[in-house]
Amino acid sequence: MTMRRFLAIALAATTAWSAPGAQAVSAADKLRIVTSTTDLKSLTEAVTGDLAEVDAMARPNQNPHDLEVRPSLMVKVRRADAMIVNGLELDAWADVVAQGANNANVIPGSPGHIDASRGILVLEVPKTRVDRSMGDVHPVGNPHYTLDPGMAPAVTQNILEGLVRIAPQHRAAFERNRQQFLAKIDDAMGRWNSMLAPYKGSPVVVNHPLWIYLLSRFGLVQVGTVEERPGIPATANHIVKLVNLMKEDRVKAVIAEPWSDFKLVERIAQETGAKAAILAATVGSVKGTDTFIDTVDFNVKTLAQMLK
Amino acid sequence: MRAFVATAVVLSLLAVTAPVRAQDAETLRREMEQMRKQFEAMQEQYKKALDSMAERLERIETRQEPAAAAPVPSQPAAAAPPPTLPAAVTTAQPAPGGMPSPMDLIRPRQPFALYERRGPGQLLFDVGITGDFVGNLTQHNVQKNQGGSFPGLENLFFPREVEVSFFGQIDPYARAEVRIEASQDSRDGDLNLTLAEGNLTLMALPYGTQLKMGKMRNRFGYLNEIHAHDWPFTDNPNVLQQFFGTDGLVESGFEATWVPPLPFYLQLLGGVFNGQNDVAFGRNQISNPLATGRVRTFFDFDEWGALQLGASVAAGQTPQQKNSTIIGWDAKYKFTPGGWQHAAFSVIGEYLMSLRDVVVTDSEGNDQTRFRNSQGFYVYAGLQPFNHGELSKWLLGFRYDRTQYPAASGTEWAWQPFLTYNPSEFLRFRLGYKQTTRSQCCSYLDFQDNGGSAKQVSEYFLQATFVMGAHPAHPF
Repeated sequence: MTMRRFLAIALAATTAWSAPGAQAVSAADKLRIVTSTTDLKSLTEAVTGDLAEVDAMARPNQNPHDLEVRPSLMVKVRRADAMIVNGLELDAWADVVAQGANNANVIPGSPGHIDASRGILVLEVPKTRVDRSMGDVHPVGNPHYTLDPGMAPAVTQNILEGLVRIAPQHRAAFERNRQQFLAKIDDAMGRWNSMLAPYKGSPVVVNHPLWIYLLSRFGLVQVGTVEERPGIPATANHIVKLVNLMKEDRVKAVIAEPWSDFKLVERIAQETGAKAAILAATVGSVKGTDTFIDTVDFNVKTLAQMLK
Repeated sequence: MRAFVATAVVLSLLAVTAPVRAQDAETLRREMEQMRKQFEAMQEQYKKALDSMAERLERIETRQEPAAAAPVPSQPAAAAPPPTLPAAVTTAQPAPGGMPSPMDLIRPRQPFALYERRGPGQLLFDVGITGDFVGNLTQHNVQKNQGGSFPGLENLFFPREVEVSFFGQIDPYARAEVRIEASQDSRDGDLNLTLAEGNLTLMALPYGTQLKMGKMRNRFGYLNEIHAHDWPFTDNPNVLQQFFGTDGLVESGFEATWVPPLPFYLQLLGGVFNGQNDVAFGRNQISNPLATGRVRTFFDFDEWGALQLGASVAAGQTPQQKNSTIIGWDAKYKFTPGGWQHAAFSVIGEYLMSLRDVVVTDSEGNDQTRFRNSQGFYVYAGLQPFNHGELSKWLLGFRYDRTQYPAASGTEWAWQPFLTYNPSEFLRFRLGYKQTTRSQCCSYLDFQDNGGSAKQVSEYFLQATFVMGAHPAHPF
């Protein structure tokens, strides 16, 4: 073997050996971020781009109100650099996961514990004393703000500020990604507004009161809930009252979340001549809603079809 | 300012007191009305002054943001967000991923999120109250011999555990929980008020470690760390009652955990405690401690459920200063179909082995030390097969128990079907029947007084449980 051939083989072998290694180093450099919901996962990915591996704890078809705290969630959180939570008492279980994960990066009070709800205008904050006789009320207000695309700027700003605390070197990239994402939202918002503009002021009945941010954004009015009180199933008496109200108000749409008792929702809709549909309560909870924009797209299109 | 207002009001009242005596009722009413208006005007001024000061303070705080903070990018017009509060204070931190340096570890950190979501007047910790009431009906002879599942409380409806709990972050590095519990332990109706738990956990320790110290329910096996109101059945399984006593293993000391950074969940735990358990570890000396250990792992089958496995050990000395070791294995499987709020099916089982030296008196009246190896287990299965509607509130459960006595010869076994009704997440009722059989009676159980008539025990249970206020999410 000549010296030249030996060098060529050695060079090729070194290149072949080092190439996967280089990729591995690149993957190791990525931030590891865990979010409580798939909505926040999608919004976080919009900010981080390929600078982070983002994973959600709740599966898309799970109600994020009351998640089973599995130790497998703690595995996700164990090595995370940041944990992004919805806040407003939607995902208090995330703190239990953080405790069990033994990861000081993400415990409440640490820089990597990011609450996406900071400073947003919260709807349905109780103005009077509340207790559990009113059902599963949220004393600090309705926590489902991520269903409103108009909240994306504020939420992504919170995510950006939190991530800059742990990775200030990526600030410029995060800001660039965020602006590109908001430009897409801006484009889509015009389309969504025009789709629902003809139905402004239309009454809508919901199964569980988690759609108020979405409905308010597009000028639709929530006039009733299938649940008698939040989290309390409907009684026969309540259903009779709701059916009467829907007939009086000529309600055309009853919307429900994927984990609801949809048979009951359909029955009520049939009795009143309204249409019933399941909307995507979280990113990925309905087929074809893999991203935040897809989710809003699906919800707006479904609402527009129901209200025709 | 507040003192000035108060003084002004008092002086005004004194000034008008004397002439008022001389005036008629109408004049008095008019003057009182005038004073009320003046006072309201002063209140209004005072409020405005306070608001103005708060505003100035907020402006000053906003100006003090570090230069590194991001400028807020302009928002797209169509997607304009609702008004937001001032941006969060940001501070550059070391890049993640790398090991923290000694300086990183000792440097104080800012309590970034401590006051998040806390408005004026809100507590900085959570408060919850739980009430757990149990009634049981059994034979008269069982009551006489105190041979039921609630010894000394047979044929009574009593508060088993009414608990006030406080829990939350102490600071960015530690959290604490304090549980004060009242319970009825005897027939006379007197309540026993105790500190059920009071401990703090250092959560910001490096390398995936945590340290818990204080009084706590030990993490031995699956059930021991869970308070009675959260058990999936009414009474303590026979094996745990025989091996640890009615209250379980509750100790004061230290417990450290480590979760290594592995692709699967593994928790390793080691503890050192006084040893205050009357039944198994009563040496009560931290210098001659009760040592505990536990390893726990978890398999997530996604839509097909999840399985948790654990092994625990506790080694110390009995009140008679004899060696005592208890080893336990536990498993829990839970199947929660996609989109369900509760498990459709769950199985829990624990197997314990007690290895201890016991003092026995031979036929000549001499005390001798003998080694005893006793074993016991329980298996529970719960079925809640409906996801929606009224039927989804009902759970059918069954438990089978079998255990030897750790300090005497003999075995007992029991079976127990029960029905649980949950009107809501915060209220629960349970009805059950338990049949216990004992192979023989033994002196330390005090069943011999009535000719061994506690060998066959039939019991009916009624349980009512409520939760008010905050309650932490349940672990798996």
